[in-house]
Amino acid sequence: MVKLGQLSRIPLEVLQTLGRYGLDFFERLGRGHVFMIYVLMGFKDVLQRWQLVVIQIFSVGVLSFVIIVISGLFVGMVLGLQGYNTLVDFGAEESLGVLVALSLVRELGPVVAALLFAGRAGSALTAEIGLMKTTEQLSAMEMMAVDPLHRIVAPRFLAGTISMPLLAAMFSAVGVLGGYFVGVGLLGVDDGAFWSQMQDTVDLRDDIFNGIIKSFVFGIAVTWIAVFEGYDTVPTSEGISRATTRTVVNSSLAVLGLDFILTALMFNK
Amino acid sequence: MQNNQEIQSKDILVKIRGMSFKRGTRVIFENVNLDIQRGKITAIMGPSGCGKTTLLRLIGGQLRPQAGTVTVDGLQVNHLSRKALFKLRKRMGMLFQTGALLTDLNVFDNVAYPLREHTDLPDSMIHDLVIMKLQAVGLRGARHLMPSELSGGMARRVALARAIALDPMMIMYDEPFTGQDPISMGVLIRLIKSMNEALGITSIVVSHDVAESASIADFIYVLSAGHIVGRGTPQEMQQSDSKWVRQFMEALPDGPVPFHYPAADYDEELLSGNGHG
Repeated sequence: MVKLGQLSRIPLEVLQTLGRYGLDFFERLGRGHVFMIYVLMGFKDVLQRWQLVVIQIFSVGVLSFVIIVISGLFVGMVLGLQGYNTLVDFGAEESLGVLVALSLVRELGPVVAALLFAGRAGSALTAEIGLMKTTEQLSAMEMMAVDPLHRIVAPRFLAGTISMPLLAAMFSAVGVLGGYFVGVGLLGVDDGAFWSQMQDTVDLRDDIFNGIIKSFVFGIAVTWIAVFEGYDTVPTSEGISRATTRTVVNSSLAVLGLDFILTALMFNK
Repeated sequence: MQNNQEIQSKDILVKIRGMSFKRGTRVIFENVNLDIQRGKITAIMGPSGCGKTTLLRLIGGQLRPQAGTVTVDGLQVNHLSRKALFKLRKRMGMLFQTGALLTDLNVFDNVAYPLREHTDLPDSMIHDLVIMKLQAVGLRGARHLMPSELSGGMARRVALARAIALDPMMIMYDEPFTGQDPISMGVLIRLIKSMNEALGITSIVVSHDVAESASIADFIYVLSAGHIVGRGTPQEMQQSDSKWVRQFMEALPDGPVPFHYPAADYDEELLSGNGHG
């Protein structure tokens, strides 16, 4: 039988656990920000060794290109198919180009590309830096008077931030082509109407520029989380595995949360 | 026994005074005093987990003690700014237990790494310097290999070549003999000794391999449970009557360092019949 004293202890334990989680969360958040200040202080070094950034752009950007392009093509094709089925009921299938383009440029391009980027490049960054920590390579660099935050982390952070908007732009461009292929090529939407309506409606500043801002912010968030998780990993196999998982989960949630905030700020009329 | 006061302060490269260090609530060092003499090989010995590697990290400034001072070549490591610490580290080398080679660079580039980072030497001169360092460790022919293609002993020799790339005043060796076959171990012992004799590099060898460390060391410290339990030349340590030192030097399974990890009473636990682990 549960005694009264035990019952009264349960909420206290729940509160203690919640408090501990809260403190851990804010402690990590604080550490993440201090970490980023040190990384940003390394940008002067990075500019002198720009080759390091080029190598990392290849690693996180170019190597993510295939998955981004293939995903963009399929997302565009699905948009074309779904959009056509809905628009044709209203006799508005000629607006398919607008629907596909706006969906991709405003939302799906930046968001889905960022989610894919988190899974492909973010996890790789975390695992790479985490493994460097586990095998004492980061310690060895420190003992050689080379700051790993400047040489390892800063170039990767900059490369991720630069690559993300470019990948999102490619995602959207290939997605539009996918929508065109399904809508015009397979379902018979008028070619001229598809492009001209898109050209008339999609605004450079309101739509495309805002989409680029979104993907830039997502790039910062995903890469920041990825490099921090890698650097902060517990130096064991299990630690790397947990850090990699946390990168994908946290950066995906951050992307979706930030997307809501940015959409509310940008497109709220 | 050699006394601290006998050593002139100018001959001391590393001076640790009243140093205490904790990880969480666990005390690793408590009020430790230790001197490393310039140009000598000093062995830090002790059972696994007694904080030998932590001591090297404290000397290298990767960790900061909660109390006391760690002074290297007249500079208080625990109070240096990051910039000053990095400047000091250019004069220190460290050989990690795993070698800690950068896995995306080959042997040549690993050894060239500190030279490229800290000097403006032309490529031809860096090439010659790297070849000389690799020749010193007998791996000039392995310069094109990647770290994954090296044996454990070879990786440590490459790491040693990298550690001496900038001609440091001091090298810290973290468990250099662990997991080595007799040939590799012999090679490493000879290299550490020759680096010390030929280049006058102060060497700190952290190890629990008694015979190997004692064969090259000029002075030995034995650590246990956060304290220095013995200090002296290898001959003095062999003749020490300290129970701690005797247990360690003679590899006795039980003594001041108990064989059993602290646990509840054995008979009581067996008789309690509790099936849980």
